[in-house]
Amino acid sequence: MPSIVVDNLRKTFAAKRKSAGLTGSLRAMVRPDRTTVEAVQGLSFRMDDGELLGFIGPNGAGKSTTIKILTGILYPTSGTAEVLGFVPWRERRKLAYHIGTVFGQRSQLWPHLPAIDTLALFGKIYELDHRTVRRRITLLSEAFEITHLLETPVRKLSLGQRMRCEVAASLLHQPRLILLDEPSIGLDPVAKQRIRDMIIRMNAEEGVGVLLTSHDAGDIEALCKRVIIVNHGQIVYDDRVSALKRRYLTVKDVGVRFVEPIAGDVDIPGAEVVKVGGGGYGLKLRFDTTVTPAAELLAHIGALGGVEDVTISDPSLEDVIRVIYEQAAAGEAIRPADGSWPSVEPEGSEGAP
Amino acid sequence: MAGEAVTGGALARLWRRVRAAVRSVRVETRFVLALWRVNLLAALEYRTAFISQVVGMMLNNAAFLVFWALFFERFPSVGGWGMPDMLQLFGMTATGFGLGVVLFGNALNLADIIADNGLDAYLALPRPVLLHVLAGKSRLSGWGDIATGVLCFALTADPGAAAWGRYAVAALASMTVFVSFLVVVASLTFWIGGASALSAQAIHAMLAFATYPLTIFDGTAKLMLMTVIPAAFIGAVPAEFVRGYSDRSLLQILAAAGVSLALAVVLFHRGLRHYESGGMAVSAG
Repeated sequence: MPSIVVDNLRKTFAAKRKSAGLTGSLRAMVRPDRTTVEAVQGLSFRMDDGELLGFIGPNGAGKSTTIKILTGILYPTSGTAEVLGFVPWRERRKLAYHIGTVFGQRSQLWPHLPAIDTLALFGKIYELDHRTVRRRITLLSEAFEITHLLETPVRKLSLGQRMRCEVAASLLHQPRLILLDEPSIGLDPVAKQRIRDMIIRMNAEEGVGVLLTSHDAGDIEALCKRVIIVNHGQIVYDDRVSALKRRYLTVKDVGVRFVEPIAGDVDIPGAEVVKVGGGGYGLKLRFDTTVTPAAELLAHIGALGGVEDVTISDPSLEDVIRVIYEQAAAGEAIRPADGSWPSVEPEGSEGAP
Repeated sequence: MAGEAVTGGALARLWRRVRAAVRSVRVETRFVLALWRVNLLAALEYRTAFISQVVGMMLNNAAFLVFWALFFERFPSVGGWGMPDMLQLFGMTATGFGLGVVLFGNALNLADIIADNGLDAYLALPRPVLLHVLAGKSRLSGWGDIATGVLCFALTADPGAAAWGRYAVAALASMTVFVSFLVVVASLTFWIGGASALSAQAIHAMLAFATYPLTIFDGTAKLMLMTVIPAAFIGAVPAEFVRGYSDRSLLQILAAAGVSLALAVVLFHRGLRHYESGGMAVSAG
């Protein structure tokens, strides 16, 4: 059963344009140059109940606008959307009882008070009885490891601690769906991982669906099975995260460590030798899986000498997204008509094996 | 029979609506009381700041009254007004303003909140957005205004429960007009983009006009102060009601409060349809 159904959703903003400098400002005052910005251009997608869906795109791609329409904050210009059976902009308050939201750049907690006071207020906001509030606070504070933080004023918490409290607060009323807008922004890797682990746990234990926007590809990789990439208000990719990497990144790096040093020049058909290092013990190659099957490559490597260790690595999702954005910015076709996908080389793949 | 069934159905629907309305009032009352409690807890986190702001505002108000005391020493009457009238007028304005900024403190910066996408967090929660945003902040200095207002009243009014009752009704009406006026002006942000400066000017104009005797203004100016900038309904008219009960002045302050509140609620919610969150900054409306 889908928790979100979006069909041909559009949102346009009226914008003023002005040329630089004082003359431009004066001219804009007398005769404003108005233009229309299409933030969302006919988005259509579905999200299943309990699904973990990543929604990513560069700044200005329309992802935050879409999230705001889906929570009832904004009215769309046209199109339809249903979230948990509610039309968000018409039934905002009814919908709000069933969803939780976290805007990473805007805190919902009262900075000068301990988080426990905000959680109690949220209990009133969601019309929960005292017993339910107490039970949920106990459960969430254990799950998010914030029991010892609940009585400290929020302004004195670290960003990671605060964000754990934010996500816990968004789950107080046991929503069926949470919308997380950049929940890991500004967090260190350890804090990011804790937040991710806790979101996965709540998804598994309470079945809460998660729609996540993030600039951090690691969030999407760690949390989501499916990803939607938007650019200029349009969906440019909607499929499994694994398929995204498989389709886009056919170039792989291979690191080999031999039992004995290999002698002479290395020439392997269908592969580029990046480096022979470690006194002849190490070899780094790069190959394209669409040109050279991995098994064939491994056979060639085996013929060079005894192999102690071999690693074949995928480039990170970060690399995938970077390439997609670059292609979109350059006006290249993101998804070729013949269904083939361009390959990309991973960034920073140089170095000793 | 059919007619009776129709009447019965209509009555049942009406009854359901009444019950839903009563439940809604109960829920929102509980919610706003919880919000005020949290505001108070936040204020008490900084005791020194709380006390200094309250005392500071009372001294500020005292300076204003000292000026008028000196003035009335030289000119005992202006348009029939003396120092006690001025104390009552100022006290009423201070009480209405103080209650407004203590209970609905975000009224003062609503225009900025709208312009800076600050409504997002309120819209994501299942409570009435206007009530939530207004009561989402409390201005500590407002307690100083309330204290000044009560002192002015205690110094000038006839003692007795009836006078205190009139004072309470008039103060609530004054607060309603004041907060509603701020909401109306701030709501213009939805259409014109940045009404922060206009909002600040409107607040100053409102407070300036509310603290002068109504008798010094002519017909047109008086009409302006009862409509466009309803300063008369924050100070002079409620103060008149407090001085002595009359059906006319009671009706005036209740009607002013009701009309301004309705206008504020309607305008704000009309504007909310134009709320563009991130797109507001470039919106031409």
